[in-house]
Amino acid sequence: MTMITNLAWRLFKHEARRGELTIILLAIVLSVSAVLSLSLFSERLQQALKSRSAAFIAADTQLRSDKPVDEAWLAEAQSRELQTAQRISARSMVFGEENMSLVDLRAVNSTYPLKGDITVSDMPFGSPEVIDGLPEPGHAWIQSRLFQTLDIELGDQVEIGDSLFTVSRVLIDIPDAGFSVFNTDPIVLIRLQDIEATSVVGPGSRADYVSYFAGNDGALEDYYDWLSPQLNREVHRWRAVSDDDSAIGRSVASAERYFLLASLLAIVLAAVSIAVAAQRYSQRHYDPVAIMKTLGATKSTIRWVYLFQVVFIALAGIFIGVIIGLVGQQLVVWALADRVDVALDVWHWRPFFIAVFTGGICALLFSLYPLMQLFSIPPLRVLRRDMNASLSSKGIQFLSAGSAIFLLMFAYSRNLEISLILFVSGVALVVGLVAVTYGLILIGRKLGAGSMGPWQLAWARIRRRAMDNSVQLISFSVTIMLLLVVLVMRNDMVEQWRSQLPEGTPNYFLINITPEQKDALDTHFSQRDVSIDAFYPVTRGRFASVNGESVRTSVSKEDEGEGESSRQGLGREANLTWSNLLQKENNVVEGTWHGGLDTTDFAASGVYPVSVEQEIAMRLDIKMGDNLTFNIGSEIVNTEVTSIRTVNWQTMQPNFFFIIHPEAMEAFRPTYITSFFLPTERKPELTSLLQPFSSITMFDVDARINQLREIVDQVSVAVEFILVLVLAAGSLVLIAQVQASMDERRQELAILRTLGAKGKLIRQSVVFEFVIIGLVAGGMAALANELSLYMLQSRVFQMESSIHLEYWLIAPLVGAIVVGILGALGCWRLLALNTSQLLRKMV
Amino acid sequence: MIKTANVTKTVTTTEGDLQILQPISFEVNTGESIAIIGASGSGKSTLLGLLAGLDEVSEGEIFLDDAPLHNMDEEARAVLRGQKVGFIFQSFMLVQSLTALENVMLPAEIAGLDNPKKRAQDILEQVGLSHRAHHYPNQLSGGEQQRVAIARAFITQPKILFADEPTGNLDAANGKKVEELLFNLNKEQGTTLVLVTHDNTLAQQCDRQLTMQGGVLTESTLIGVEDRKEAV
Repeated sequence: MTMITNLAWRLFKHEARRGELTIILLAIVLSVSAVLSLSLFSERLQQALKSRSAAFIAADTQLRSDKPVDEAWLAEAQSRELQTAQRISARSMVFGEENMSLVDLRAVNSTYPLKGDITVSDMPFGSPEVIDGLPEPGHAWIQSRLFQTLDIELGDQVEIGDSLFTVSRVLIDIPDAGFSVFNTDPIVLIRLQDIEATSVVGPGSRADYVSYFAGNDGALEDYYDWLSPQLNREVHRWRAVSDDDSAIGRSVASAERYFLLASLLAIVLAAVSIAVAAQRYSQRHYDPVAIMKTLGATKSTIRWVYLFQVVFIALAGIFIGVIIGLVGQQLVVWALADRVDVALDVWHWRPFFIAVFTGGICALLFSLYPLMQLFSIPPLRVLRRDMNASLSSKGIQFLSAGSAIFLLMFAYSRNLEISLILFVSGVALVVGLVAVTYGLILIGRKLGAGSMGPWQLAWARIRRRAMDNSVQLISFSVTIMLLLVVLVMRNDMVEQWRSQLPEGTPNYFLINITPEQKDALDTHFSQRDVSIDAFYPVTRGRFASVNGESVRTSVSKEDEGEGESSRQGLGREANLTWSNLLQKENNVVEGTWHGGLDTTDFAASGVYPVSVEQEIAMRLDIKMGDNLTFNIGSEIVNTEVTSIRTVNWQTMQPNFFFIIHPEAMEAFRPTYITSFFLPTERKPELTSLLQPFSSITMFDVDARINQLREIVDQVSVAVEFILVLVLAAGSLVLIAQVQASMDERRQELAILRTLGAKGKLIRQSVVFEFVIIGLVAGGMAALANELSLYMLQSRVFQMESSIHLEYWLIAPLVGAIVVGILGALGCWRLLALNTSQLLRKMV
Repeated sequence: MIKTANVTKTVTTTEGDLQILQPISFEVNTGESIAIIGASGSGKSTLLGLLAGLDEVSEGEIFLDDAPLHNMDEEARAVLRGQKVGFIFQSFMLVQSLTALENVMLPAEIAGLDNPKKRAQDILEQVGLSHRAHHYPNQLSGGEQQRVAIARAFITQPKILFADEPTGNLDAANGKKVEELLFNLNKEQGTTLVLVTHDNTLAQQCDRQLTMQGGVLTESTLIGVEDRKEAV
């Protein structure tokens, strides 16, 4: 064994010193460093985004319940070193001196919030300040607009249920205030211990019991596993950051999937480059193996000598790759530090293991077949130089490499869908390419005929090296396709994120506008160069019955079976609107929008069309054709469900559960809702803008929108960085491939040179050859890119998939240019040597 | 030392089977040197491959130092080669990624001999290349490369040495040098030599000359050992 390791080490050492291992070593270094830096960075970034998002639910996870939760559950969480906090919230009336208002009362314990900050101010609508604390017992912090509604000042007292509270601060924001602009009441924050005395929460009342948990992912998962069997799905809802369906939640989730995709592609790129390099390495060792066999080395000796070499190369590659990967991602984190908030001190082991595993597996699996070929070299090659490996089934090679790639992708992503999509597109690409290669050979036979110009030489070479070229073509195409997927995916995704919050998205909302104020408001605002959105008529109405069956007006579980209807209702008054126009981001999924309906029959029967939002329809068990009754004041409005809509609740526009036909509502006096956009720097003008309209209530969502936008920007920057990394990895793979193929060309170049061919002819023919290969590879890549994008976008990213025609032109062009240039550079390097040097290198 | 009986070689081509060696029978005695001469494509290298155990016979028997090559698998033949056989090739066949010294050490290491490095240094000294020990093959001239190959062939003190056109790639001066070295070491170590060449002068230095023509081997002019000594 010592002899074998010595020999292996000696071969490894010399090959390394002579630069013969550069390509294969580079491939492994590349795979390890790309995978490490990508996954380490994305892990850190995900952590950062997660903790940011966690701030929006004030914890890592929430358990929401309609009933108080078992104290033992919290104790168990604490014993697992999870942080916990509690909140009870209820809708309640708050009374000032003269006025009263419905509020969202939130009673929290001393550990709230586990994530994120509470902001307060000294005056209503004042600038926010982060505060590390909570209201004293007996005190309440209330939101700005409540000061308006109740007409009170700081230090005044308000009455909530049976208790009196001193208003000690203006509450600007709490982490889990939610993004919904409408159907929300101003928040009043008090201490948990004060809630009982108010008697607001008790039998028959509707309250939310929220338990907050924070801690490391593993502990949270374990805890959930423990808790899950005890949860009642009707009462309890477990909510994690990743379940967050807000704009942020979805951006983070799609960014995570993108990182995963990019890392997977990096692995595939690395695998391709290792396969190319290993093939080269194996071919270059045909002679030494034949010599060693001739000199009496047995098969097992040869096997061990080369396996040890692979191990040495893999170890060296992994070691250098890990260092480069660490340094690289650290540099990028530093460079991005002021744009993306990434914790530098957190060390994640998973990426490290994945990188080492990838390096090891790639080095072994992708060199396995070339090595098997190498081992099968007959000793007779020393006499008959044309004798090659007796093992030469490309089918087996593709099968083994393919399954290895699939296993790697699956092991890494643990996502069968993404892995399958990429794999199937890859296989389709390979099959297509083999067909194209043979097509090219046929064309080449025709085009290559005639006198020997550079074109003819190029075609002749393509034809003659058909099998080698098909491997090369496949690796070029796969590389280009993967780069395209990452690039286009990034463009589409970032565009989609940005379009959620375009410039000029309304950041202030006005409600309680009387019909008389409508025009005056419009004029007043336009004089001050602020444009106002559409006015939506609104009236408060109680949803009373479905098909004559009255609904519960309260939905607490305790009420069930107490004689009242078992049909669930909204539990509160709803904002009803009427319109003939379907709003933006509303889509009718069942029935017909009533804007176009003939209302003669409706007018006769006194039953008017209503459109219901899909989720509320499901929750309240409302179907098409159901008759819904609303009580508005003392009046009754009868409606029939003529359409069911989906609504994008993420849009910053007023959205409604029920939209009634305008004719039904003619008799009612509405108030109006509208919104407007005011740049953040013009915020001081707000007071003068609203001054003439003291009865109008304003919602300020500017800060929320800015937060959202900031996060989307950060995620976009991160995604761009990852794009650059994958592009760099891909380019290096292309270079490695061209370099590898240049070795094979050396002999031919030497012969052509010896025969007196001019450098120009040789150079042109090589460039033409690469241009043809790059053109075809780019075209095929564009095709495969479309296929995989379609599947990825529609199945994994839940995006609208689209055709990217521009890449059908760009990909072949860029393919031809880049591959052509790389070919020219490689060729130029060879031609810089004189003929005798070339000939000597051949030996 | 070498005994062949009715050895044939048939290869399968697209146009059917092709017999490239007609039944061949001859013997080579221990210490004897023979030259197989013939034109290109006559089948002499094929015969060399069979005699050296690099290839398998289609029919017939070959005994190499009493070992039945025709009954041995590739593994067993490799072990036998390592123990008893040395090679010299027209294209030198040095491992490009090893230095001259390491190339010479290689067979000694494979055969498990002790002190391979010392042995290699000594024999490089003998072929006059100790100063080139740490050079790679492509840093050496053709003549030097072939001298390294000769050193490599003799390091295990093989019983039989096969040489395939050893001077074919060299100019006259270098060819002469290599020739002298080859025969001197051969004589010194008492090795049996099988030499394939189309160079009659080189062939004349061997004890016997066998001529290969169209796959048929015939014994040509016999020059006795004594005569050869006189000739030299």
